[in-house]
Amino acid sequence: MKAKTLIGLVLGLAAFLMAILNPLPGLSLAGSIALGIFLMAAVFWILEPIPIYATSMLVILLQVMLLSSQGLIFSVRNVPTVVLRETTGEFDFLAPASAISGEGFVYQKDADNALRQIAVEQLNIANAEWITIRSETIDPSLPLIQDANHRAITGGAYSYSKFYATLASPIIMLFLGGFALAASAVKFGLDKNLTRVLLKPFGSQPSSVCLGLMLCTGALSAFMSNTATTAMMMTVALPIVGSLPKADPFRKGVALAIPVAANIGGIATPIGTPPNAVALAALRDSGISISFASWMAMATPFAVILLIVAWRLVLWLFKPETDRFEINIKGKFQTSPKAIIAYLVFAGTILLWLTEKLHGISTSMVAFIPVALLPAFGVLDKKDIRGFSWEVLWLVAGGISLGLSMKDTGLASWLIGQVSWHSFGGLGVVIAFGLCGYILSNLISNTVTATIITPLAITVGVALSSQGGFNLVSAIVAITVMVSCSMILAISTPPNAIAMSCGIIDTKDLARSGLLVGLIGIVLAILMHLLYWPMLT
Amino acid sequence: MSEIYIMCVDDEPDVLEAVERDLSSFEDVFPLEAASSAEEARSVLQQIESKGDELAVIFCDHVMPGETGVELLEWMEQTDTFKNTRKALLTGQAGLDATIQAVNRASLDFYIQKPWTKDSLLSIARDLLTQYVLESGRNPLPYMTMLNAEEVAKAMHEGGLISDE
Repeated sequence: MKAKTLIGLVLGLAAFLMAILNPLPGLSLAGSIALGIFLMAAVFWILEPIPIYATSMLVILLQVMLLSSQGLIFSVRNVPTVVLRETTGEFDFLAPASAISGEGFVYQKDADNALRQIAVEQLNIANAEWITIRSETIDPSLPLIQDANHRAITGGAYSYSKFYATLASPIIMLFLGGFALAASAVKFGLDKNLTRVLLKPFGSQPSSVCLGLMLCTGALSAFMSNTATTAMMMTVALPIVGSLPKADPFRKGVALAIPVAANIGGIATPIGTPPNAVALAALRDSGISISFASWMAMATPFAVILLIVAWRLVLWLFKPETDRFEINIKGKFQTSPKAIIAYLVFAGTILLWLTEKLHGISTSMVAFIPVALLPAFGVLDKKDIRGFSWEVLWLVAGGISLGLSMKDTGLASWLIGQVSWHSFGGLGVVIAFGLCGYILSNLISNTVTATIITPLAITVGVALSSQGGFNLVSAIVAITVMVSCSMILAISTPPNAIAMSCGIIDTKDLARSGLLVGLIGIVLAILMHLLYWPMLT
Repeated sequence: MSEIYIMCVDDEPDVLEAVERDLSSFEDVFPLEAASSAEEARSVLQQIESKGDELAVIFCDHVMPGETGVELLEWMEQTDTFKNTRKALLTGQAGLDATIQAVNRASLDFYIQKPWTKDSLLSIARDLLTQYVLESGRNPLPYMTMLNAEEVAKAMHEGGLISDE
């Protein structure tokens, strides 16, 4: 075992045990366990002793076992219960005084040992022990928990199925829809053929071809994975780059333009890159749902402006010496019935996503159309379905699940309570979280970064927006966008890693252009957060 | 991470040296092993296997004292660890029968006629390494500088070898 693996494992487990065995003041038992899981996951995600998706799966396992209302600690299985006693009124029952919490709730457990919380009206105190309660929603056939202050209840635990359900959450389904579309586009060469057609108008002048390449890459990576787009563009660009003289700086320019554009393109739509999913899920959990079109209205102008700035920057850093740079992609659009269906489903899904205002079917619901139709028409077969990046879905689901517990056990509020955010002001909070996210995501996975900081950012954001003058949606979009602006190192994003591995650029080239584009992106995100995004929400 | 080796087997020291010299540019990424007989090759293979490492490509002479090259390749084809190794004969003397046997029984991937040119050997090695790494399903990026970058990019595009994280 490598030293780094060992250090990661030991540190992660130590953090887990520390948090649980040394309860911190102000944190409940459930909060301490959630903190332990959070710290261990953060260490594992950062040092990667196990794959990052495996950490996400482990998070869900630990939540199910330790934090659920059926688990090892907060189980209601063996909690003493009583039977509700009927009394005169239709919705009136007699319950023991101990079963009613200070906030006026009683708790029942159902057949699956899941906890139900029911608000009741307390009518009269029959005697010291039994109280008449009224509730229309209470089910008298289910056992009532005798002690409303039992650990299993104060844990604020969810049923284990809530943690599992994150894998089928609407945001995950949205991504699944994106995966299905992307898989069919790759299978029938739609992405490559679109590139061929879209690049034509850009002619053969190096600077304009570079712009064309970047816009194409950006547009495709808004709908497909940034990685697959970069790989495809590399197959297109590498032969031509190889034919340029070795001394021409433009070789490096092209090899850099593609990953930079792919990183930026992912920002443009909800399905462009997984951090967007983390942000959407967190907002959804706070009761705000954002349509495909409204995300695009916010993020696409950002991506287009940053792409154009990045284009000028690449040309300035790597001035072309050649006066002719032409990309000729061979091929034509496939016209088999399956290919046509793939095109139609692709176009139809995007059209429905963009027109939610007209038909009212939500983004996540539309997302299941390609998931169901593409296999139904045989456009995708079972091999294609197996080929989806399922580990990315697990990664995001684990993050959403961890976010649930952080919010619900009071951990998120406790963590952010350690810093007096109000002294930062609204803008300060966005910049602080955005910069932390930017720095962290240069070093580790963007999705993991978003997973770690978003639950905290949203907790601060909700507190600030409840006082007014703070736009929560704009703030979360700004922070997420800054996380996606990280592209300094080869390890920052997979597109960077691919570009570096082609052997045309070196670490210094990537660092220089990546840092500049990233910093401009951060400034642009802050400007849009101040001036543009609040107008839309 | 386990190492991926390239191996050359030839009984003539001059030939072995020349092959090693020609392939030395790969050595930073794919360590090179040499053996002067099939028996020696087997013991090197056993070492590779016991360390949990892999052999991506073997360039093997046919006519050698003791066991022949084709026999060695056939044996490799029957072992789990070296079944996926890309197998090339680098020979001047393999007759038709031996060559047929190599194709049919050892899944021979390439036949290189002596004398070879450095460029052709490099490009064959690059293609065989690329096939091996892509087939192994591992992340190809750490090896990509030494591989056929276009092929790797194509596989990453179509096969989803790495995903956005």
